[in-house]
Amino acid sequence: MNAVSLQEYLVVSALLFCLGLLGVIVRRNILVIYMSLELMLNAANLALAAFSRFNNNLNGQVLVFFIIAVAASEVAVGLALIVALYRRRQTTHVEDLATLRL
Amino acid sequence: MKVADYQLSQYLPVLILGIVAVAFAAGTLLLSVLVGKRGRDSRIKDTAYECGMLPVGAGGTRLSVKFYLVAMLFILFDIEVVFLYPWAVIFRSEAGREPGVILGSMIGFMLILFIGYLYALKKGAFDWKH
Amino acid sequence: MNLSLLTLELGVIGLALALLLIDLWTPPALTGRLGLAAAIGLLLILALSWNMSGGPPVVGCGGMFARDGLALFFKRLFLAVGVLVVLMGVEYRERLALGFGEFNVILLIALAGMMFAASANDFVLLFVAMELMSVSFYVLVSFQRSRLPSLEAGVKYLILSALAAAFLVFGIALIFGVGNTTNFAALNAEGVRLAQDKLYWLGLLMVLLGLAFKIAAFPLQMWAPDVYQGAPTPVTALLAIGSKAAGFVLLLRVLFVAAPVLAAHWSKLLMLASAVTILYGNLCAIPQRNLKRLLGYSSIANAGYLLLGVAAVNASGAAAVLYYLAGYLFTLAAAFLVICVVMRDNEDIGALAGLSRRSPLLAGALALAMVSLAGVPPLAGFLGKFLLFRALIERGAAESPESFRSYWLAGVAVIGVVISLYYYFAVIRVMYWAKDPPDLSPIIVPARVQIPLAVCLVAMIYLGVMPGAVLAGATEAVKALKF
Repeated sequence: MNAVSLQEYLVVSALLFCLGLLGVIVRRNILVIYMSLELMLNAANLALAAFSRFNNNLNGQVLVFFIIAVAASEVAVGLALIVALYRRRQTTHVEDLATLRL
Repeated sequence: MKVADYQLSQYLPVLILGIVAVAFAAGTLLLSVLVGKRGRDSRIKDTAYECGMLPVGAGGTRLSVKFYLVAMLFILFDIEVVFLYPWAVIFRSEAGREPGVILGSMIGFMLILFIGYLYALKKGAFDWKH
Repeated sequence: MNLSLLTLELGVIGLALALLLIDLWTPPALTGRLGLAAAIGLLLILALSWNMSGGPPVVGCGGMFARDGLALFFKRLFLAVGVLVVLMGVEYRERLALGFGEFNVILLIALAGMMFAASANDFVLLFVAMELMSVSFYVLVSFQRSRLPSLEAGVKYLILSALAAAFLVFGIALIFGVGNTTNFAALNAEGVRLAQDKLYWLGLLMVLLGLAFKIAAFPLQMWAPDVYQGAPTPVTALLAIGSKAAGFVLLLRVLFVAAPVLAAHWSKLLMLASAVTILYGNLCAIPQRNLKRLLGYSSIANAGYLLLGVAAVNASGAAAVLYYLAGYLFTLAAAFLVICVVMRDNEDIGALAGLSRRSPLLAGALALAMVSLAGVPPLAGFLGKFLLFRALIERGAAESPESFRSYWLAGVAVIGVVISLYYYFAVIRVMYWAKDPPDLSPIIVPARVQIPLAVCLVAMIYLGVMPGAVLAGATEAVKALKF
């Protein structure tokens, strides 16, 4: 009946999470890092939705709604911050954030 | 026919529509390459058309921050629907048990959003002129 | 659903929304009054919280929200921090270029997030409360948009906090997948079965990682110094006290309400994290010249001490955590009040030179705070550390074959305390014994700073000398936890 098994969903979700984490670690552009972070959140969303479906428990999907709503407000604030930083520094590279040092 | 197969088969028209749409777009483009006559291009021809004037400056225009603000407000007020939909779905069944709670919680939620809207309005976030 | 459960939270949120609306129609000259109004409102809610004590623990709102002694203890703590930080904000007002009204409103919303965290009995509420705090802090940390350090601190906090949130959410997803519920009590009921599942362990580990960010403990501690230095001083105070306390109440709830069956197994890992955190914080603090940055490293070290109490996995450890946080509140609030008044544009420790002659009150207050942080008797910081160490030794005595681990960790913590004496006393030395202080003009301390400062000093000494009442309260509060 289920063409796709829970394991497969979880593998995709874990791959997405690791890709996002890799992006956060490797990439140097704040916007790309931020996109990678959203990818990690969505990996969790996928896992939650899959568990919810296979456990026959809708609570997981409700949590997905909360995560989506919170991520939206986080993006609104986060992008505003990054835009403000860009207007000051004309850069979105993490190496240039060196004002705060010893 | 199993239940899942039946449910999937309901989406068959959608799949056909998708295939037709993609095929139409790709076909038209392909047709224009095959049938159409390729004109000679030169630098003058490739410049952007600016009512006959020579274009000045870079092609990409900078958009006002205003757009950003409106887009953000749109996202924030748009995402509230995420909560309205499930609420509307269960409203009928829950209203029989605890009518005050189900209505009151959504009114509280909307009230907070409304205060946010008032704030944006008073701060001139919707004012296009300035 | 019972709205009276949420009285305190609704009070704070109502206050925030009311201030937001009033601010819209208030002429700019009068916005300073709004800060005082917020402080008075919070004081009233704090007074109300004393009316609510007693009664059996209640779980409401679909099992998500717990009202028990632990929640009430932390809510009082948060409200007290709120009053002090809002008053600090009034003093800091001219340095926040724009939007003093919004500053107060967002402070209150962050506070509401902390209060919800204190009552979290479900991973959904845990997540939402933590994000309510985080998103408010993104704005607060970068509030001085025209000051580059503030902006950079905001972006750093944003990226790392979002990373921690991603780990937290993925952990919650795994826990939900294995346990088929996100409720703490329901997870505890299934504890023995869930302990068989490796995915459940992985989920808990990721949740703990997410919480480690909030309390600034290893391995997610590196944001603290940068953000503490860049953020406006009142926000640094709220981060250092409120956000850390919220992280600890969530840590206690996750470990000892949701997964008490497994808590003893986490002890080893917590001890390791605690030892690394203590050494990292104390060693990195030594060369610091910026006082706020120094307090950032000191805050990491303190997270390490507090983790000792959690790693002890017993009631006296948890009670010691609560007591330590109460003392830490008044100690740090006093320090940040002084920083707010004295360090207007220069946060270098050298700027404190001659403070003992410029304002004996401020110098005395900062000196007392440093002495308390260093753990010298008879102040709150000493007794807090003593209680934490004692809980750890108790743990060592309880599991005799493996006791060496507890004693070894206590040794590391003592080494940490000895190292910390050096940099805390360096601050005192500059204030009292600096040669040729460049500026000897007296500092006039306004009443709105004098009163909270006096309250902090009295509380610091009271907690150290007569700990009975607070310690009894803390012991009562941790009865909500299972060991």
